Amino acid sequence: MEQAIQAAISGALQGSLFALMALGLSLTWGFLRVINLAHFGVILLGAYLTIEWAGPTGLGPLGVLVVTVPILFVVAAVIHLLYDRFEVSELNSLLISYGLLILMIQLVQNYWTADFQRLPGDINPYATRSVSVGSLIFPLPTVMAALFAAVLVVGIRLFLDRTYAGRALQAFGQDRQIAAAFGIDHRTLGILLAGASGATAAVAGTLFTLRGTVTPDSAMEWVGLVFAIVILGGIGNVAGTLWAGLLVGAVSGLVAVVWNPATSPLVVFSLVVLALIFRPQGLFRRKAAH
Amino acid sequence: MRRERGWILIPVLAVLVAVMPQLRDATGFATSYVILASELLFWAALATSWNLLSGYAGYFSFGQGAFFGVGVYAMAVLTVRMGWDWWQAILVGGVLSTVLALVVGFIAFRLRSLRGEIFALLTLALPFILLAVARLNDAIDGGQGLTVPVPKVPGWIGTPQDFFFVVSGAVAVVAIAVSYWMSQTRYGWALFAIHDDEDVAEAIGVPTFSHKMYAIALTGVIAGLAGGAYALRVGFVTPEGTFNLRVPVMVIVMSVLGGRRHWAGPLVGALYVMILQNRLQTLKLEGWSLVILGVVLIALVLLAPDGLMSRFARRRWTVAGVAVLGVLVPALAGAFGGDFVWSVASGLLLAAFVGFLPARRTEAGEAGSGAVAAQGEWADAPASADEVVVETVDVKKHFGGLKAVDGVSIQVRSGEILGLVGPNGSGKTTLVNLISGFFPPTSGTVKVGGVDTTGMRPHHIAHLGVARTYQIPRPFPSLTVRDNVAIAIMFGREPKSLHAARQEAERYLALVGLAGRGDDLPGGINLHERQLLEMARAMATRPKLLLLDEALAGLNPVEIDNAVEVVWRIHRSGVSIVLVEHLLRVVNQLATRIVVMNQGTVLASGEPSVVMRDPQVVSAYLGRSADAQGH
Amino acid sequence: MLRVTDIDVFYGDAQALWSVSVEVGEGEVVSVVGPNGAGKSTLVNSIAGILRPRSGSIEIDGVDITRVPTHRTCRAGVAIVPEGRRLFPAMSVRDNLDLGAYHKEARAKREETLEWVFSLFPKLADRANQVAGSMSGGEQQMAAIGRALMARPRLLLMDEPSLGLAPVIVDEVFDVIRTVCSGGVSVVLVEQNVHRALEISDRAYLLTEGRITMSGPAAELANDPTLRSLVLGV
Repeated sequence: MEQAIQAAISGALQGSLFALMALGLSLTWGFLRVINLAHFGVILLGAYLTIEWAGPTGLGPLGVLVVTVPILFVVAAVIHLLYDRFEVSELNSLLISYGLLILMIQLVQNYWTADFQRLPGDINPYATRSVSVGSLIFPLPTVMAALFAAVLVVGIRLFLDRTYAGRALQAFGQDRQIAAAFGIDHRTLGILLAGASGATAAVAGTLFTLRGTVTPDSAMEWVGLVFAIVILGGIGNVAGTLWAGLLVGAVSGLVAVVWNPATSPLVVFSLVVLALIFRPQGLFRRKAAH
Repeated sequence: MRRERGWILIPVLAVLVAVMPQLRDATGFATSYVILASELLFWAALATSWNLLSGYAGYFSFGQGAFFGVGVYAMAVLTVRMGWDWWQAILVGGVLSTVLALVVGFIAFRLRSLRGEIFALLTLALPFILLAVARLNDAIDGGQGLTVPVPKVPGWIGTPQDFFFVVSGAVAVVAIAVSYWMSQTRYGWALFAIHDDEDVAEAIGVPTFSHKMYAIALTGVIAGLAGGAYALRVGFVTPEGTFNLRVPVMVIVMSVLGGRRHWAGPLVGALYVMILQNRLQTLKLEGWSLVILGVVLIALVLLAPDGLMSRFARRRWTVAGVAVLGVLVPALAGAFGGDFVWSVASGLLLAAFVGFLPARRTEAGEAGSGAVAAQGEWADAPASADEVVVETVDVKKHFGGLKAVDGVSIQVRSGEILGLVGPNGSGKTTLVNLISGFFPPTSGTVKVGGVDTTGMRPHHIAHLGVARTYQIPRPFPSLTVRDNVAIAIMFGREPKSLHAARQEAERYLALVGLAGRGDDLPGGINLHERQLLEMARAMATRPKLLLLDEALAGLNPVEIDNAVEVVWRIHRSGVSIVLVEHLLRVVNQLATRIVVMNQGTVLASGEPSVVMRDPQVVSAYLGRSADAQGH
Repeated sequence: MLRVTDIDVFYGDAQALWSVSVEVGEGEVVSVVGPNGAGKSTLVNSIAGILRPRSGSIEIDGVDITRVPTHRTCRAGVAIVPEGRRLFPAMSVRDNLDLGAYHKEARAKREETLEWVFSLFPKLADRANQVAGSMSGGEQQMAAIGRALMARPRLLLMDEPSLGLAPVIVDEVFDVIRTVCSGGVSVVLVEQNVHRALEISDRAYLLTEGRITMSGPAAELANDPTLRSLVLGV
């Protein structure tokens, strides 16, 4: 029993990292109607830049965020300019961003090789530490991921609900024409939001490096799980994304322990299929629309 | 309407594959070329199989690696762990992969909420699941990889490399033959229609679900066979090497590059991509191949989504000639140090260059309004008995709290033109959707020719004799005007071949006055002509009842008069008509009876001149003054 | 105030308006009536900048706004109450109202305008935190009008404000239109409910099949028998 609880909570904490990855994707899909697979490339860049710069600059893995967040903000915003310029449809955005993703993965591989990379132990004090609650023990990096995810979710939620720009974005996502008729300029806001999703990618990339190794192919390994979270959480639903991440993580953790690890992806994706059948708008509807 | 003669290439390819091992001794072809050719044919097979569902039907899949991978692991597990023969293993791989495809299709295509994007994402997850299963399951792989034994090569073939070439080639020939066959028959055309507009495809009688299932099954079987051939050829398989990003990247880029609508598109795309990759390798630049493919994919989607074949088809002989010369001249002249692959690359480059030259304008262009006076042997066939063609009994349709249709009972009799009018939001179009089966009613029944149609799929109802047009015309944009009509004939009550349907289509085009516009694409004709095309397509299903939903919206007065004339002609041929229309002037002129709807219910019905003077109708249209409401 | 000159508007190649000209003076209520499908919504959407005429021009106080991007037309003083209300359904009433005052000049006067809107529609103050999509049709209509007023328009475009509402609510809506225009705001009122619209308008245009077929003082049109025959096609 205790083993099951440990597995579920550990899984949920890991799931929060994937929720962090899913956040930006969900936002740009929900509000800007692009399905941006290149987001995974941006996360990958975040991870590699952390490994590259954390030591030499003396900033440490978290300090590097000061540099990577603005850089990846710009990268993501530039990618969005491409979608915006060509007014791509949702399906075409999927194709184009797929092209961008393989391109980015290959460039990362050409520069950093296909080998496993990790943060050196001396500048990653988090990897070996853990947090214990009673008899339960959790690795520190996953706890940090959960904290960051929670902070970002709350922050984004506040931004969307409390600021004029945030509410304008919501309005834009709900009715583009009327939003424009009231003076909401989608172009500026869209680039802002795409950039913000790039910033969350930077955070996700850094947190990923705290727990272990990364290879260029890691990006493809994230895709399935992250999209499962986006769909379960409800496209564009910020808090739902976090809940879905925790749920998916807990379920995978549990299944892996009580059954076997090979079945956990099957269970997760069966969940997605069931959700698509019964709750196409996601498991966690925020407010009743219509 | 050129007869397709490209099929000749398929037996030629088959013969080439079969005699290649013999020819090789005679011509002294290097083994490296054979290896390249086997790889090329393998990718051509896999890309072609992807294209059956994702290109023809437009259901974009990132999951080809899963179907392929089942074939790979069937070959590996059955030959290594069970000691089966390679040919048994490859067939079982094809079957297993088909089963997987059918399961995926059955789940995905049953989902009402499924959009193309979600389907794509679901398939994206598929290889990922199988990767975990294969990696962690010792009975399959367990993470160590499997070495597939080299089978005993039949005597007439020669070396194992020749043998792999023949196996890959055989799968490719099967794949391309299937793809060609589909492009010439109802099976492919159903997918073309689904690609362009799935709802309309149902409405003209295409059983969309079953055709999507056929397509995904064929995708699965060919990908499974190709996977077996691949495992045999490479000799060592790992989960990571099988269920990775390479397969979807390659098949998507190849198909998009070659052209998704043409049976030979993936083959042509595979040719370009493989030669490119090979040359990058010789230049020691293989690290850039995915970068280049990524850029190519982005550029194609943005700038030339139709791919090469659509460009080549315009001047096929010139392109073929340039390609052959481009290959042969340097090859025979011994250019490029005798490296034949460079010669091929030069031929391909030249062909692509010619393909992208701007087209000469050969057509007469938009010479005036094409809708000419109709001709044709359309016998007047006055409806015989006074029978009820369609009947709704207290039918209701509620969307949440909105009662769009709230208890409507109407009958349409043979020989009637029933005008269905009413203010905005009165429920007219919803009623049309209920009759044609696009919405199931919340309660009540709809009967067509006395048959209760509740729960029937729209294509079924189309076969019972109900056809419709759309408020905003929805022709299949990538099919010519003639083929738009032909496809309705192919999927009518009595199935017809493409050739027969194309001939018969002329009759319906003549009926509406579009004879002579058959070769145009819907994008090249004007709104009035597109509305006439909708009527021709609906008539080609040989309906008993035609539902015309705002067929005159946006037309100028001359066009309206012409359209009215066509409606008369359709009516005289013995078809009952329900006319949903805002232009009351026209309805009053055409209709034999009028039903006025307001807020989801029938307000009045009867003779046009009488109904339109009914005070209730007048106030529905003009409103009442505050005084008249008793304030 | 508003001068629409000879606009042709298309959806793709379907022409919806044929050389339509409309004028509205300062503080005037002008209604555009006609059967559905005649192009009334197309006209107001063109004025609001949501649709772009292929030819002709739209001027506000002599300034040409025909080619101005959608999100800038509101700065010229135009606000729309769209057909079917089209509130931002998942957001609160308060958010919807605030978004009405999105553009700079309106935002500066937001608090003041909000008080005014709440005084016009006291119910909205009670419902400020309710999700817009969950309200009744009448309340939504008021919120939609409130949202448009928050933009501090000098020209208010109202598209079918009475559609689907109970008669009592319609009265309330029409009362507000009167109040608003007495404050100097010009109103273009699109209505299927011809008689009600004519009652509160100064002038009116009849739009049938995409063309202006009658125009003049509202009272004259109301008594003209040709109006009825044009609308009903008999």
